[in-house]
Amino acid sequence: MANLRRPRPAAGGLGRRRSLTARAGAGALVRLLLDRFGDLATDLWTDEDTVEVRIDGTRNVELLTVLRDDAELDFFYLADAAAVDYGPGVRFEVVYHLYSDKHPAWLRVRANVDRDDPHIPSITSLWEGAMFHEREMYDMMGIIFDGNRDLRRIYMSPDYRSFPQRRDFLLPDDAADSSAAGVNPLERPETWDLTRVSEELAPGVIDRAEGQS
Amino acid sequence: MTGDVTIPDPLELERAEEARLRVAAGLQPAERVRSEYAGFESVGLPDRPPQTDREREVYTLAEGEMLVNMGPQHPSTHGVMRLVVKVRGEVVTDIDPVLGYLHRGIEKLCENATYTTVMTYVDPMDYLASMHNEHAPAIAFEKLYGIEAPRRAEYIRALVVELNRVFSHSLMMGFLALDMGGITPILYGFINRDEIVDMLSAISGQRMLFNFFRVGGVNFDANDEFFSRLGTWRSHVAKNVEMSERVITDNEIFRARTIGMGVLSGKDAISLGVSGPNLRASGVPFDVRKAHPYSIYPELEFKAITQPAGDSHARYLQRIAEIKQSIHLIDQIVDKMPHGPVQAQVPGIIRPKPGRAYAAVESPRGLYSVYAISDGGPNPYRFRMRDPSFVSLQAIPKLMPGHLIADTMAVMASFDPVMGGVDK
Amino acid sequence: MEEGGPEVAVEKATRRPPRAPAKAATKKPARATAKATARPKSRAASSVLAPGQESAPPVATAAPPIIVPDQASDELLREFGMEEHPQGGFHGLLEVIPTRADIVLDLIRANSLWPLLSGLSCCAIEMMSTATSKNDIDRFGMFPFRASPRQADVLIVAGTLTTKMAGPLVRLWEQMPEPKWCVAMGTCTTSGGRFKRSYSVVQGVDRVMPVDVYVPGCPPRPEGLIHGMMRLQELVKQRRGEWPTFVDRGPQRVAWEGDVR
Repeated sequence: MANLRRPRPAAGGLGRRRSLTARAGAGALVRLLLDRFGDLATDLWTDEDTVEVRIDGTRNVELLTVLRDDAELDFFYLADAAAVDYGPGVRFEVVYHLYSDKHPAWLRVRANVDRDDPHIPSITSLWEGAMFHEREMYDMMGIIFDGNRDLRRIYMSPDYRSFPQRRDFLLPDDAADSSAAGVNPLERPETWDLTRVSEELAPGVIDRAEGQS
Repeated sequence: MTGDVTIPDPLELERAEEARLRVAAGLQPAERVRSEYAGFESVGLPDRPPQTDREREVYTLAEGEMLVNMGPQHPSTHGVMRLVVKVRGEVVTDIDPVLGYLHRGIEKLCENATYTTVMTYVDPMDYLASMHNEHAPAIAFEKLYGIEAPRRAEYIRALVVELNRVFSHSLMMGFLALDMGGITPILYGFINRDEIVDMLSAISGQRMLFNFFRVGGVNFDANDEFFSRLGTWRSHVAKNVEMSERVITDNEIFRARTIGMGVLSGKDAISLGVSGPNLRASGVPFDVRKAHPYSIYPELEFKAITQPAGDSHARYLQRIAEIKQSIHLIDQIVDKMPHGPVQAQVPGIIRPKPGRAYAAVESPRGLYSVYAISDGGPNPYRFRMRDPSFVSLQAIPKLMPGHLIADTMAVMASFDPVMGGVDK
Repeated sequence: MEEGGPEVAVEKATRRPPRAPAKAATKKPARATAKATARPKSRAASSVLAPGQESAPPVATAAPPIIVPDQASDELLREFGMEEHPQGGFHGLLEVIPTRADIVLDLIRANSLWPLLSGLSCCAIEMMSTATSKNDIDRFGMFPFRASPRQADVLIVAGTLTTKMAGPLVRLWEQMPEPKWCVAMGTCTTSGGRFKRSYSVVQGVDRVMPVDVYVPGCPPRPEGLIHGMMRLQELVKQRRGEWPTFVDRGPQRVAWEGDVR
């Protein structure tokens, strides 16, 4: 088995710093996006391997269609469609990640969605595989995708009435504080059947249980 | 009574037709269908009105059609998934997969956990590829924190990740045959898996949900027992793989049940979001290790393999080829592994600067990616995982119509979904 | 289905000499005495020599019929040379040479427990690993993982139970005919495990069904599951399981409304 007691060798500091320069070719993508979508995009940002575009949610289909069909951009693969909740009163965000053979960076499209009336056009007409992503975003966050033919819950039961991944849906801090704590008889010592406990095999259990109950 | 002839009542027919139209329009819940064979009420439709167009489409039965529920517990070994299959006789006309029977709320739990604890939460997602499940968050958190792992740690990561891929693919071969009724290949698959898993338990302490990766490296260094088991394994793995595949690859029944079944074209696969061996078996050479190289893959020599056909047999052959490719990669990694530390010195609770990071790895099922947002605190602000099996399952309603109901499981097994990842 | 074979009249008084009952040792574990008192007294207590009685009554010309008890009570087992095991129960020659049909039936049940294929998640892979060549559970008789609950004896809940799956799982449990046992494999089924705070995980499968054996681990090693199944076999042989056997519940429903087949 692994020798778990061997001390870990020191790495000498915090590890090597990441090289933060964008890879060659991502600059071309950034320039291309600026040319094409100067009016559409509200923000543009790049890191070592990702270029990020922020748009308003209502124009996502427009932007993604051009990104997919244009020969120079050619972002043919939808890698991920995710939803982010920034809190009650702030906004939702639907984030798409796209891949292209011609550019060495992932393209991230962040679309703003109003939190109080969360509607955004569906992209299932562009990629059929977005269907399950959108169903999951609806199930977990409550974002409505207009034009989605099958917008129903996918993870929770069909009669579930909350949206679990919103920021105002809180998990209990401690299992003992949850509304279901102590339901299990094993969690309540007064219900233990002490006739089955042997002092030899489990010393101290009877004393502790009787002390508690 | 003999000689009794029932004459259909035209008013009744008219009313039934109206009711059918109203049901199809969603104005009225469908009535339960009474079956005379079983002697008890058998319900053909869900007990609430259909909510969406697609649901209406699936749950509206035409003449001669029937809904068969392959419920959350069925003998196929993919886990808990429910397929409502609409059949006409034996031929499938539509499928509605119902997921969520294993939804554990991992993304929400990770928002309340530190960055290191996240590694324990993501393990049981795709439980046959736990190392890949941890690799993507590790890369994403390192991007957020602004560090790189030491070289030896990257090599160990690549090594365990490729070992994980080997045993996941050999299990897929076993499950594919098991879903068709063959018991022997799954035994071979588990023998292979047990050997690799003993090796991985020597390096990480756990047989299955490894909890091995850390932000900044891996938890333990490779020790003598690991290398000794690795050497033993490498000496006979080629023979084992050949023995495992020889049982089924040329088997007449296997070939009849996989060749030409579930043909997925490359264009459809891209549109559906299929990735990994399923996509490469349809002819599209998209491999994340080549497309967006991470870790030490730029230094290793390998090609993205594809198969032209796109049917179940091609997906099976693709996985065999990938096992061999992984063995080749493991040889290169072991040759090139440097000495050095295996974990960067990071504090126990890391607080990366606010930012966003996206990291994608190639898991045995496809493109596995993590999108992490940090707000400067000890917990991730948003931790999103994109599981490949989840997206690949959308191919099933596209592929299955036209096949027989018994082929549903065979085609599903060739896609190799793992419900832990599908349901998160 | 009543246990026990036909009642047999046996010349018991002439076969064995009278014995004094075993004295309770001071170091006897509390459990054994509690169990001895908790077990129902057999009907044949009247035919066995009461403590204190020195000798049997004189044999009459017509041998009095002696009723074989339904269950092997402790005194009876001690008479047959079985010694008390420190962890409860008896061991001795009767383990190998069963002389009571109910002991035979218990042995049959224990050595051919057929599990139901109810693998939910990661523990299912370790359960399959237990069932395959390296850790072979077939040697305990548990090879056939039945797909149909009607043919299964033990439900090994392997994997996390979520609120959506709880309904179908309980329905599977209810469809299993008695006698049946339940093994909670893994920490997710024992107590919710690593998903303790989740909104959709049932915190332990014993919130929805009675459990006989808890096997902790995440996932438990195959050896651990085998240990759990062996403990279950002991439970079966000693009839200590949660699910009381041979309880007549009356007519059961064959199917439920709202089933989508």
